[in-house]
Amino acid sequence: MRSLLPVIAQAEFRWGFIWDNRQIFLDGLRLTILISIVSFTLSVALGLVVALLRMSKSKIIQPLIAAYVNVFRAIPLLVFILFVYYGLAIQFNLNMTAIQAGVLALTLQYSAWLGEIFRSGIQAVPYGQREAAHSVGMGRVQTFFRVVLPQAARIVIPPTGNMFIGMIKDSSLVYLIGVPELLRVSNRLANRTFRYFEVYLATVLIYLALTTLVYFGVKYLEKRFALVDLLTSSARNWSPFAIRRTARLRALQARVEADMQGEPVLEIPIEEEEDEKEEREEQVALEEETEVTGLER
Amino acid sequence: MSVSPNNTSQPEQPAPVVRLRSIHKSFGSNHVLKGVDLTVDQGQHIVIFGPSGSGKSTLLRTTNLLERPESGSVWFDGKEYGPGLDGQKLPRGKPRVLREQIGMVFQQFNLFPHITVLENVSLALRRVKGISHSEADYKAATQLKRVGLLDKIGAYPIQLSGGQQQRVAIARSLVMEPKVMLFDEPTSALDPELVGEVLAAMRALAESGMTMVVVTHEMGFAREAGDLNIFMDEGMIVEQGGHEIYQDAQEPRTRAFIEAIL
Repeated sequence: MRSLLPVIAQAEFRWGFIWDNRQIFLDGLRLTILISIVSFTLSVALGLVVALLRMSKSKIIQPLIAAYVNVFRAIPLLVFILFVYYGLAIQFNLNMTAIQAGVLALTLQYSAWLGEIFRSGIQAVPYGQREAAHSVGMGRVQTFFRVVLPQAARIVIPPTGNMFIGMIKDSSLVYLIGVPELLRVSNRLANRTFRYFEVYLATVLIYLALTTLVYFGVKYLEKRFALVDLLTSSARNWSPFAIRRTARLRALQARVEADMQGEPVLEIPIEEEEDEKEEREEQVALEEETEVTGLER
Repeated sequence: MSVSPNNTSQPEQPAPVVRLRSIHKSFGSNHVLKGVDLTVDQGQHIVIFGPSGSGKSTLLRTTNLLERPESGSVWFDGKEYGPGLDGQKLPRGKPRVLREQIGMVFQQFNLFPHITVLENVSLALRRVKGISHSEADYKAATQLKRVGLLDKIGAYPIQLSGGQQQRVAIARSLVMEPKVMLFDEPTSALDPELVGEVLAAMRALAESGMTMVVVTHEMGFAREAGDLNIFMDEGMIVEQGGHEIYQDAQEPRTRAFIEAIL
């Protein structure tokens, strides 16, 4: 084998080889996407539960969840995948396929990381928001879902996007327990044909394309949920949804305006204030001038 | 601490809306409120002033149960919300019920930044009172018209000036039709030129007969609207009275504070 490597390295590079085997790559890619999405969805759900329990005031639950987070974050993922599949599944005779074991291992670890991200996001929402919601009579659950969570979601979008990219990359580790995802099928193809460079180059490019796609997706979400963007985004203002919304608001304004004719209008003393301010500034400037001239004399 | 009749401007016997009695509150070793009594009568405009750290904001927040007192009674609408006084057994109320009927305006506005001005005002109508979407929107828009912001209903809070944000916050509380409105230094976070519009909204509200408790340093507003003016220092009410308190206060501490801020 070793003596063959230089020969292989000098072999003619053929792109066509990858195209010919595209079905193999596509099958692997499909499984990589499936594992990533399923594991990540489960991780987000579990991570939210972890975050909420971690913030509980209970003297039992809080340290338990802290331990959960710290244990699963501390074990190398590859070791954990092997342990779940070869260790747990076989020892306890769990009827578990390699894919299920892989998803379970990824979910447990990622939920620990995501739990911490979500917790920091929830805690980053100013406490005054909760107080304002309580002050109009909203309960704890309503306050969380209507006021805190939407704001926390905006905060955690970038780090959560990073975690999804990480999940796509880390899903390749389940190849060691025999899941025929992208890395596994590439590895098999390369070993069978000795076209290591073509195969692994293709694998690298496929992962790169996938993560780049997610990167732009996250960028879009960030923009979509950014508060400042609401001011400038023409896409939002000219979408059919936005046009309908504007029309609805106009109609509401007109109705209220008509219904409230004759009611006293709040007089806002803006112009007076400004005039006063100008006068005051002129006065100050005058005084300064006399002071200066006084000093010169 | 009840108010002597010659201090109130109302001729008939006013009905109390909220009554706080011997409220104690500590943050750690810091004893913030040391047995404070406060009775808020129907239609009364109470102004609370005093140096920072005197407990005036905490007193206001206790009225709304955003702070839970360690001891003392918070009475509202026939029900007891605080720990209660010794030997007194009143039916207990749920904090949510009290908060729904007592509005609060914060120093930092605390508008919800992720939803529009209209949604800020209509959210609690829909979620707490269970009013339909379209009716809640109509009520909210009506309330926003009253504070002069009908043209801003589609805007987001960050698109408004501080004064406009505070007026939205006032509308958000008023739309729930509260029995009492609490103001916690509503103009302290505003640029000087924006204070006027918030005070104008508060004056209009006072003229409409709303019961109000205002923690403020705006002495102009206090003189004009304050039926009962309370000076607090070191967790206690030092002195209270009508408008005359600003001219000739009895307590030297009150006089010193008024002189310092005028």
